Amino acid sequence: MLFKGKVSLITGGSRGVGKAISTKLADEGADVIINYFRKKSTAQETAREIEKKGVRVHLIKANLAEADKIDEMFAEINKEFGRLDILINNAASGVARPALELDDRGWDWTMDVNAKAVLLCSQRATKLMKNGGKIVNISSLGSHLVMPVYTAVGVSKAALEALTKYLAIELAQLGISVNAVSASAVLTDALKIYASAQGLGDSVYQTTPAGRMVTPEDIADVVAFLCSEQSYMIRGQIIVVDGGYSVSPESAMKVDK
Amino acid sequence: MSVEETVREIVTRIVRRPASEFAKETTFKDMGADSLDIVQILSAVEDKYDIELEDDALTDIKDMAGFVAYIERCISENGK
Ligand SMILES: NC(=O)c1ccc[n+]([C@@H]2O[C@H](COP(=O)([O-])OP(=O)(O)OC[C@H]3O[C@@H](n4cnc5c(N)ncnc54)[C@H](OP(=O)(O)O)[C@@H]3O)[C@@H](O)[C@H]2O)c1
Repeated sequence: MLFKGKVSLITGGSRGVGKAISTKLADEGADVIINYFRKKSTAQETAREIEKKGVRVHLIKANLAEADKIDEMFAEINKEFGRLDILINNAASGVARPALELDDRGWDWTMDVNAKAVLLCSQRATKLMKNGGKIVNISSLGSHLVMPVYTAVGVSKAALEALTKYLAIELAQLGISVNAVSASAVLTDALKIYASAQGLGDSVYQTTPAGRMVTPEDIADVVAFLCSEQSYMIRGQIIVVDGGYSVSPESAMKVDK
Repeated sequence: MSVEETVREIVTRIVRRPASEFAKETTFKDMGADSLDIVQILSAVEDKYDIELEDDALTDIKDMAGFVAYIERCISENGK
């Protein structure tokens, strides 16, 4: 087991990609702290499933758009566990609008949850990573490839990727590795909402050169690698998990019906 | 504070309107609440009462009286 005795925090770890990451880290022996926003019963269901693996699971409801809620979350982690070894900045939210229709509040909300919270959580996590640690941020191809109505989220992910590099260098001296994993479309609730905002309905599928769509588990496997000592010399990198999609002009940025 | 007073405080704070604009028959639309405001309102009410509100339930709720009644139902179900 890679992470026996380690304590991990997965923001937005209750469903979708975050749930797969929580599950993978628990499979490898880590205790998991799962942050979520509003869907308490979903979070409780995920906690019950993961507890069966014999690790400690702790749920924390916190809106990451609010700095004081982030403070409360880390105060609770300090009280309950006294330390942290792994932080996965996975939670994301966003307003799906073209640039000309974005208002300042939609922009702020998206940047607060997807970019500012990554900074605030990493700062607070660092204080609890007394023996070094690993931080992995979750991004998407929309940070540098243009997708319809993805403006605010795409820009927030570009900020997250730049922050990943700055943190990687600054935190290296504290024994903390920082990297990001970026993915093409993954079938989760978020993708269904994005597709329906584009009038695609909720049955979406994206083909990749690798022959299938990326799954939450594909991302979780790479995250686990980045949390292991095998990836010690990888710092400040954005690892792309997309079945070759972004290097193939033929696959064009489209989500198939 | 009653549930209605609490909801009035939360809703008017988030949409930045005076408390006097909140009445039983006021709708979210009257309050100028967009989808982002509504998410924040629901989240604040959930935190206050430690309950979970369903987004889908809002489609049947016409006004603030209906919203308050729905929250009161959730609170009493939670206590059971
Ligand atoms: N789906 C894709 O196609 C795709 C592609 C590339 C990258 N990604 C990235 O993968 C990550 C996870 O995406 P997903 O598709 O799994 O999303 P999802 O299914 O929508 O789940 C989002 C998670 O984040 C939580 N969350 C949302 N807003 C929050 C807030 N304000 N504060 C705290 N937690 C919040 C949610 O909690 P509640 O359930 O309580 O609301 C939930 O646990 C994101 O960073 C996303 O950008 C996704």
